[in-house]
Amino acid sequence: MNEENALHSRFERKEWPFGFAWWMPAVLVAAVFSLASFWIDPYLAYVGTSWVIFGLLGLSLDLVWGRGGLLSLGQTAFYGVGGYIGSIAAINLAPLTGNTVIWALPFGAVTGLILAAFVGWFIFYGRMGPFQSCILTYTFTLILWTGSISYTTKIGNAVVGGDNGMSNIPGFVLDFGAKAAELDPNMMFLFVVLVSAVVFLIVQAIVRLPFGLIIDCIRIDSVKTELLGYDIRKFQLVLFMFSGAVAGIAGAMFGAWANYLNPSIFSVYEALLVPIYVLVGGLGTLVGPFIGALTVGGLSFWLGGGAIGGQTTLVMGICLILLVLFLRKGIVGGLQLAYGQLFRRSAMVSDAKAIGSAVQINFDLLDNQRTDSADGSGLTLQTVDVLKSFGGVTPVDHISQTFEPGRVRCIIGPNGAGKSSYLKTCTGAYKPDAGQVLLGDRDITKISSFQRVNLGLGIKMQKAQVFDELTVQQNLWIAAYSQQRDREKADFTSDNMMKMLDMSDLAARPASALSHGEQQWLDIGMVLCLSPDVILLDEPAAGMTKNERLQLSKLVRALARTSAVVVVEHDMDFVRTLDAEVTVLHQGAVFAQAEIEELQKNDQVLEIYLGRRKSVRDF
Amino acid sequence: MELDYIATVLLSSLSSASILLIATIGLAVMFGLMGVINLAHGEFIMFGAYAALFATQIGIPYPIAVIFSCLATAVFGGLVERLIIRRLYGRIFDTLLATWGLSLVLYQSAVLIFGSVTPGIGLPISNVQIGDYSLSSYLLFLIVVAAFLIAGLYWLLTKTGYGITARAAIQDRETASAIGIESSRINMITFALGSGLAGFAGAILLPAIPATPNMGFAYVVKAFLAVVAAGPVTLTGTVVVGGMLGAIGNITASFWTSVVGDFVFFFLTIAILRIFPLGISGRWRMKL
Repeated sequence: MNEENALHSRFERKEWPFGFAWWMPAVLVAAVFSLASFWIDPYLAYVGTSWVIFGLLGLSLDLVWGRGGLLSLGQTAFYGVGGYIGSIAAINLAPLTGNTVIWALPFGAVTGLILAAFVGWFIFYGRMGPFQSCILTYTFTLILWTGSISYTTKIGNAVVGGDNGMSNIPGFVLDFGAKAAELDPNMMFLFVVLVSAVVFLIVQAIVRLPFGLIIDCIRIDSVKTELLGYDIRKFQLVLFMFSGAVAGIAGAMFGAWANYLNPSIFSVYEALLVPIYVLVGGLGTLVGPFIGALTVGGLSFWLGGGAIGGQTTLVMGICLILLVLFLRKGIVGGLQLAYGQLFRRSAMVSDAKAIGSAVQINFDLLDNQRTDSADGSGLTLQTVDVLKSFGGVTPVDHISQTFEPGRVRCIIGPNGAGKSSYLKTCTGAYKPDAGQVLLGDRDITKISSFQRVNLGLGIKMQKAQVFDELTVQQNLWIAAYSQQRDREKADFTSDNMMKMLDMSDLAARPASALSHGEQQWLDIGMVLCLSPDVILLDEPAAGMTKNERLQLSKLVRALARTSAVVVVEHDMDFVRTLDAEVTVLHQGAVFAQAEIEELQKNDQVLEIYLGRRKSVRDF
Repeated sequence: MELDYIATVLLSSLSSASILLIATIGLAVMFGLMGVINLAHGEFIMFGAYAALFATQIGIPYPIAVIFSCLATAVFGGLVERLIIRRLYGRIFDTLLATWGLSLVLYQSAVLIFGSVTPGIGLPISNVQIGDYSLSSYLLFLIVVAAFLIAGLYWLLTKTGYGITARAAIQDRETASAIGIESSRINMITFALGSGLAGFAGAILLPAIPATPNMGFAYVVKAFLAVVAAGPVTLTGTVVVGGMLGAIGNITASFWTSVVGDFVFFFLTIAILRIFPLGISGRWRMKL
């Protein structure tokens, strides 16, 4: 594999067969459709145009749902409003140029984008849950539906007639001048196919950027993505706006196709079709919605509409239920599965032998890792009198601590002592009720986790958090890219980290296929790829073998030489190996702070750790 | 401003808040106790309305028809849970999509079976005179109904074995199943309960709002928004938010149109969610 290919593989989940470049299949299909447009029946071309438009609308949903992880039931809102505004622009401005599409399409796209920005800002910057955002997008569409039925206005020559709709929308005119004529159905089909192909290729190109990988990460685990320092709200909003623009273009083309728009474009039945296209074709595949729209459209065309006796709503409702229950991957997913079973099996077997290899850390590479990062600033993390209480419980009770580079710091304590809560006030998951958290000289009490990470905090939560659909290499790469924002540097850092953790053999393996211990190492590697100045590790040794613990202990001690390292741990044997200063928490407050040997002689500590002394003797 | 005018506005706001509460509480029970939002809720209300209508048409007195419709919708809801919802636990979006499909199936079936117009129930509606103004006595009666409904649910969830186990199950599913609470049975009962409440809403509102296939749409926008604005604390949250939003929606709708009322309702909800992402009750310690 040459350098060029190596770089490509970073953004690509599945390579195309037969050495196709990523853009070739789409271009080939578009070329076939374009050729077909010259000889197919004009009526079929006319109807087929609408299927392609619906496919484009489906693509906008697949972007936010299949890739972004948010089910938006409001895509028809962007589509409909984009259609209305694009058509109003075309009605009024087309007489100036003759050409209609240079008005309708951009106006539609910008309208969809602005509307999506408005809705998306509330959803993402409000950090709403999945139900809340789904219901908001749905009710938004319903309100537009009821609102547009009674809304009448006149904008220039365009008459928005409420329930009567808006007629006289000009068709597709590409020529300029007063004599320019509308495209005939076949050419209209060709034009719509070409526009859709261009939009599709732009979408493909964008999801192949690091942006696409970050979007995938947000879908898989938004909390972890934020702990890598990415402002997920920004990425989600941009994706949502982009999908709004795609829906707006589809809406504008629909207006030009139908020459007429009415409020039913916002109706539930219209909205329902969009997820059906996506599910039939295959969620998250991007090409699926087109296949879904062509399949659904083609089937109802072939059945002649009469076969289901006008009961489309009933049939579609049943279809949606059945699709959700029984066919999640759609046509494209089914094909991929079949292809995988035919051609990939041998690859899987040869991959499998690396499992079970023992971890051996290469410490020479650790310094390599840290050269560009730890600029020797040696930030300290400090909490000043932080307090967090929930009603009657006070898990963090006026804790003041300073964590500096030089020596590992351990926090121990019995269950419910407040270890995790204290760590959460440091990471930003909890905002303290009183007190301050300082990173170096900066007060970080009120800022979000991702901002803390960008200032130099590295956080490893108790449970291994890895992006299971991504490869080992991609996991490390996306962590490195967060701070470096440079593909080649991120390549170098992630490769170096794999060598250091002795995981180079596993580079192309999806993280989901790793053992529990390997996932822990990968997670630690991701944190180190951030080049943090302060490292918080919550029970890092959980689930590791004895040998792995030894390696981890060595690594933690090595890290502590230049960074502040805080380890929250349960396992006293592991704590003993760390040569750390140990802080004991009890009922949310600092109970004792000393060397581990001293603490082991301290009766009070043993008492809170093991319960009453009497029970200690009894056992 | 005269006293009778203020009293009339207050009472009509209170009654429309009560209507919203009656129409929403079934949805809130499902969301609070199961974490499921039933997009077919409006059609379940319609189901209840038609069930009550059918019962009165075959000669059953109206009060008994209400009970009949409540039970019929509950049984239907239990079936839906068994056949569809159960297979989709933990798949939030799929549950939403499946119930969405169901809502269209129910709507279209109602159009096929009943047509789009239906006879009224023919219950005599009297008016109450307040100074110069008059209010339908049935609307005032609904305020009482809403109060009894909330009291009854409070009793059900705090004093009965089902209520206590259901609340335990939502707080910690694993512990609940470890101590022998069979969560699939609880879920089926909860879904049936929520459906029964929707059916009750359709039936009890029948004298005021006649049964039509699309009657559900009149409620769903407000009901969905009220439930997400209220958050996971079923009873208190829904009463507070539903009452507040219902009253505000009524006042704006009486000044302008009901569409404007819906818009105001929508913007209030997103404003609430902007401040409380999980709904007003998202961080309450109270769990009921």
